[in-house]
Amino acid sequence: MTEASLISVRGVTMRFGGLTAVKDVSVEVPRGAITAVIGPNGAGKTTLFNAITGVYEPTEGSVLVSGRDPRRQLTPSVVAGTVLTGIATALFLAALVRIEAHWTAAVLDLHEYQKPFPWGKSAGAFLSSLFGGGLAGTVLPLVVGFALGVAGRLVIWSRTRRTPDVVAGSGVARTFQNIRLFPELSLVENVTVGMDRRLRTGFLPALLALPSALAERGSARAEALKLLEFVGLADKSEEAAGNLPYGHQRRLEIARALASRPDVILLDEPAAGMNPTETVDLMRLIRAIRDQGTTVVLIEHHMRVVMGISDRIHVLQYGEKIAEGTPAEIRSNPRCIEAYLGKEELG
Amino acid sequence: MARSARFSVFSRGQLAVLALLAATPLLDLAFPSLQLSAPMRTVIVYAIVALGLNIVVGWTGLLNLGMAAFMAIGAYAFGILTSEIYPFQVGFWWGILLAALIGAFAGWLLGAPTLRLRGDYLAIVTLGFGEIVQDGLKNLPAITKGTEGINPLPAPTLLMTELSGETPARWFFVYLAILAAVIFLCRNLEFSRLGRQWFAVREDELAARCMAIEPDKAKLKAFATGAALAAMAGGLYASLLSSTGEPSTYDFQVSILALCIVIVGGIGSITGVLVGAIVMVGLNNVLLPLATQSLQRAGIGSTGNVLSSPDNYKYLLFGLALVLMMRFRPDGLVHSRKAVRR
Repeated sequence: MTEASLISVRGVTMRFGGLTAVKDVSVEVPRGAITAVIGPNGAGKTTLFNAITGVYEPTEGSVLVSGRDPRRQLTPSVVAGTVLTGIATALFLAALVRIEAHWTAAVLDLHEYQKPFPWGKSAGAFLSSLFGGGLAGTVLPLVVGFALGVAGRLVIWSRTRRTPDVVAGSGVARTFQNIRLFPELSLVENVTVGMDRRLRTGFLPALLALPSALAERGSARAEALKLLEFVGLADKSEEAAGNLPYGHQRRLEIARALASRPDVILLDEPAAGMNPTETVDLMRLIRAIRDQGTTVVLIEHHMRVVMGISDRIHVLQYGEKIAEGTPAEIRSNPRCIEAYLGKEELG
Repeated sequence: MARSARFSVFSRGQLAVLALLAATPLLDLAFPSLQLSAPMRTVIVYAIVALGLNIVVGWTGLLNLGMAAFMAIGAYAFGILTSEIYPFQVGFWWGILLAALIGAFAGWLLGAPTLRLRGDYLAIVTLGFGEIVQDGLKNLPAITKGTEGINPLPAPTLLMTELSGETPARWFFVYLAILAAVIFLCRNLEFSRLGRQWFAVREDELAARCMAIEPDKAKLKAFATGAALAAMAGGLYASLLSSTGEPSTYDFQVSILALCIVIVGGIGSITGVLVGAIVMVGLNNVLLPLATQSLQRAGIGSTGNVLSSPDNYKYLLFGLALVLMMRFRPDGLVHSRKAVRR
């Protein structure tokens, strides 16, 4: 089971203070299929998505992507970076606290008398001044600086181990229930931002507009236009995303998420606010995404969409998973009917 | 044209502003009494500071109230590296380049531990940094000469000859060429992958994160780039004064002036920032002194009466300009991305 699962949510509990939004939920998302998560409002579906994508850190349980925990590990390069930061901070602090003394020794004392300027001697004078300050002048700033640098670096590392950018980097893309586009950017730019994980242009090539940067910009743009065509928005590519009608914004979000060529795409209520025609188009689009080989997980209230395209459905109620199965199984499951329609009053 | 559709070295608006600036020495030829080229160099210096601030505030959405500190760092770096009292004496061009690099390093140093602060808290950190740098420079007389400032400093060299105050037009054109280069670099960044990351972080940080963008890194690059431009402008300013000036030359009002330029001109738009610099600094350093001079020549502005000197009204005018802008054109004189808002 685990082998074929792209995402496996294992016993995830999400607590906010006294409120338990998700309680001990396990979901296996098989590769290459469409998995739906349904349930009444407030059942914890979006919270589950947030826990998967790193917006929240699960209170309990774990989320594996392709069998691995998408989390920054304590690799040798992290350790080396931390130590280097510590040393750099230590030297910087030691140089700073007695900078006038260092300057006097290395520049002023030599400069008044000597021409040409003795650079080697100056460097030597600087070093002996830097390390010759005794306990208070050298040792203390070095120790404090090292501790500050190491502690700061470690705190940042520990707090950003499983942020959404780390999870997204491992091939998980998503859309949002309350659409979160970049409203002032054009459609093409929105999609290109989604592509960022695959782009390589660094600061200097970008600053100088080197041929490599221009080539990448051109190919990224062409690819973004192709994706806009895939979701049917190619004719509006230069408009501001914020000016699009609601249904189109949802499609654009999907295009932006697809741009990173994710292994799995999480769609949070993609059909919300769409009219029946748009909904049919959307179902076709989601199937096309799956047929391309991208795994799909979706949260949806439109039963027509869910029952029409899902390979497997998970039902949440009050934060707990109450059922799992194929559309046919779910449709006839008494607990699911009860969750949606209420219990039949007898007598 | 819409953003990113096509790419040229300068946009039409930027070309227009550059052409306008290039015409000022002609005015001097026509009206020798004006002497515009000399004060217009200051306009260019502030335009570069504001372009740096525009990257931070306009593109990345971080409020930085300490641009003057980076300007001061650039000015003093330029001073120390080029002055005859110190052994380095690298000359004007290396001085400007190294000042920019040192500014970037300072921005990176300040930004690395603080950029995770949100909104107003970051603004307070940058505000405090501005004060710390001023006090630091004042209290390190062995290095910075305290309140005297380091002087004299070299003027730009062009084709191996050093320019002087006697040829303000040439000096002006050197600065204008530097400004054109800065605009070119800013524009490259604006349309690059990094520019897109900045905009994405500004518009919606969480969504940007979910696109695998690391906002902290993008912000740090924006901060360091902005600081580099401010420091470069500081070096140009010191060369223009032939002195670093005293540390309080780079006080909070300078940071606020830079912010006013960005807001009045058009936040996020390079052309807007250039227009803002011409309007605000032109008013401050060219028009008001000119008005004061001509009034005095006409015998109206007696030196004793503070009310009759137009120079004394500048903060009133700045305030008025800001209020009017906020009321009638909150996006600034030149809108960024007109096409997109259409």
